Amino acid sequence: MKDTFRQSMKWFHTWVGLVVGWVLFFMFITGSAGYFYKEITHYMEPERPLINHQLSNSELLDKAQQYMSIHASDVQEWDVFLPSRRDTNLQVGWRHAPKEGESRGKYIKQVLDANTGQQVITRATGGGRSLYRMHYSLHYLETRLSYWIVGFCTMLMLLAVITGVVIHKKIFSDFFTFRAKKGLPGWLDSHNVLSVIALPFHFMITYSGLLFFPFIYMALSVSIQTNEPELNELMDEVYPSSAEVTPANIPAKMQSLSSLYEQTKTIWSDDKLELVEIYAANDINAHIRFSRSVTDITYNPSDEIVFNGVTGERISEPERQYTVSAMIHNGFISLHEGQFSVTIVRWLYFFTGLIGAAMIASGLVLWTTKRKPQQMKKPNGPDFGYRLVEQLNIGTIVGLPIAIASYFYGNRLLPIEMANRAEWEIHLLFISWALLLTYPAYRPKAKAWSEQLHLAAAIFIFMPVLNALTTDKHLGITLSHGDWLYAGFDLTMLAIGLTFAFAGFKFNKSQRNKTSQSKSAKTQRSNIKTTVDNELVLNKENSGAL
Amino acid sequence: MLLLICLSFSAMALFCLAMEKHRQQVTDKALPQFLSQFFKPLAWLLLVITFYISGKLYGWSIGPAVFFGALTAALLPLILLLTYRAKVVPIVAIVLPLVTCANFILG
Repeated sequence: MKDTFRQSMKWFHTWVGLVVGWVLFFMFITGSAGYFYKEITHYMEPERPLINHQLSNSELLDKAQQYMSIHASDVQEWDVFLPSRRDTNLQVGWRHAPKEGESRGKYIKQVLDANTGQQVITRATGGGRSLYRMHYSLHYLETRLSYWIVGFCTMLMLLAVITGVVIHKKIFSDFFTFRAKKGLPGWLDSHNVLSVIALPFHFMITYSGLLFFPFIYMALSVSIQTNEPELNELMDEVYPSSAEVTPANIPAKMQSLSSLYEQTKTIWSDDKLELVEIYAANDINAHIRFSRSVTDITYNPSDEIVFNGVTGERISEPERQYTVSAMIHNGFISLHEGQFSVTIVRWLYFFTGLIGAAMIASGLVLWTTKRKPQQMKKPNGPDFGYRLVEQLNIGTIVGLPIAIASYFYGNRLLPIEMANRAEWEIHLLFISWALLLTYPAYRPKAKAWSEQLHLAAAIFIFMPVLNALTTDKHLGITLSHGDWLYAGFDLTMLAIGLTFAFAGFKFNKSQRNKTSQSKSAKTQRSNIKTTVDNELVLNKENSGAL
Repeated sequence: MLLLICLSFSAMALFCLAMEKHRQQVTDKALPQFLSQFFKPLAWLLLVITFYISGKLYGWSIGPAVFFGALTAALLPLILLLTYRAKVVPIVAIVLPLVTCANFILG
């Protein structure tokens, strides 16, 4: 054990961070992408029509209702998703009655062409949803097992955040300190700065992440201390369920959605209708719920308006009863997901998520940078552990973004008719990641960094070009049409690519400086001594700070 | 939102200028003592105002969350500017909030 409290915390922080760092990096990157999962799905289904600025919600609602009364007449649950800033297409969905042995029926979701009111056939794709689901279900693993792994890593992350605050000696006086130096001080400062500026986010996202599956993580305490009825009571308290609408099986004609929508307009001052849910459709018991984009982190009952679908009367008592614990739980969940965010706040969430990923990455690099001088002196070269960490760093920090880009490439390049197409997009992601993880083992590390950075730059910058080659919606068209959702994706890819290109350029430059320095040092032996001395002094200074 | 980010930027810049070592980064001139001792309280005041505006704009449920987001968004450029272009920090800290405030009031 280490001597002082702070030293043992430091030891703990270092090893906890190292052990789960790569998984956390994966979770932060795919989770940050998840803030735009709808936008990503939109891009990955390029058959969808471009944004239509002209049609009003009333017209769209009638078209959707007409479509579903033809194509889903035997189904009782209908949903209408109105075009929003996040998803500019009209969509409908319905749930079939469960077959034998199923607890819930199959859910069908279709994109409608707002002009014709007919279905748009889109390619099979995992979309943004598969990408964001990965950050807690880890894709290939069995769900419950991955929840446990994710929970374990999250718990350690929470500990790393707390111990990080403890060991950061001068959190206030070094609040703004960022020394752009090479090597240890530079990495230490970047790690500190990235951690401190987004500390509220890091803490919130980790803590609320743990609250997603409380009944799994607290399984022992919950099942030992409570019996089943008590457990059910507890569940009901945390997850309020809506009152169920049962059809009376007496057919009746429903009011038109647009006429009910007119009523909602008199109740809501702002028109931000997002979703219309219909229960017991075309039945005498029909209920229709209009929901606007949420205006509260916990739960605001006035974000929903429910009507009797046949008489058109408003049902004023709230459908869901939220207890205090349910409100708090819901509040944390919605803080984590940022459901309430308008576009610019969503971007903030995305960037802060990336700051989190960068914090983890800088911590991992810091681990190797600190050990490098010592490892390089070893007669048989660096230890296996050190080499493994360096390899995993390259393969994850730069490799994972490339792998995610290959997921998008798969979406554009795999044959449309291919069987299991959506699954293969994801296989492509993991195959490329596996390749990029092994690649650095066979290359000098500096070369591997540089090559993968340049590969990342190329693959992201080429994405808009590939989109132009494989679809009819290139930047020229989407921009001039004002479809910022579609164009935004291409532009973001371009920006990420340029960032990687810049990083690659900087990295090569620093490498060149290093070699030229060592060359000149060879000719002037005296210089070596001074640099070594300087290094020693620096290391001494920083061994205290680290 | 931009207004919140710009106001947080100025508040944090004031905090930063309240510290001797960062003041030296930003300007070579020695500021009179009586002036610099106002920086910290002023920064707190500005932060409280920003928090209040955030609550007013986004409601008291969403507002505080947005406030912390804006703070993070302001800090990253501030720290980068301090390292690479320290001299422009005071100018940016004065001009940005003025422009966004004007834009907010007029628009």
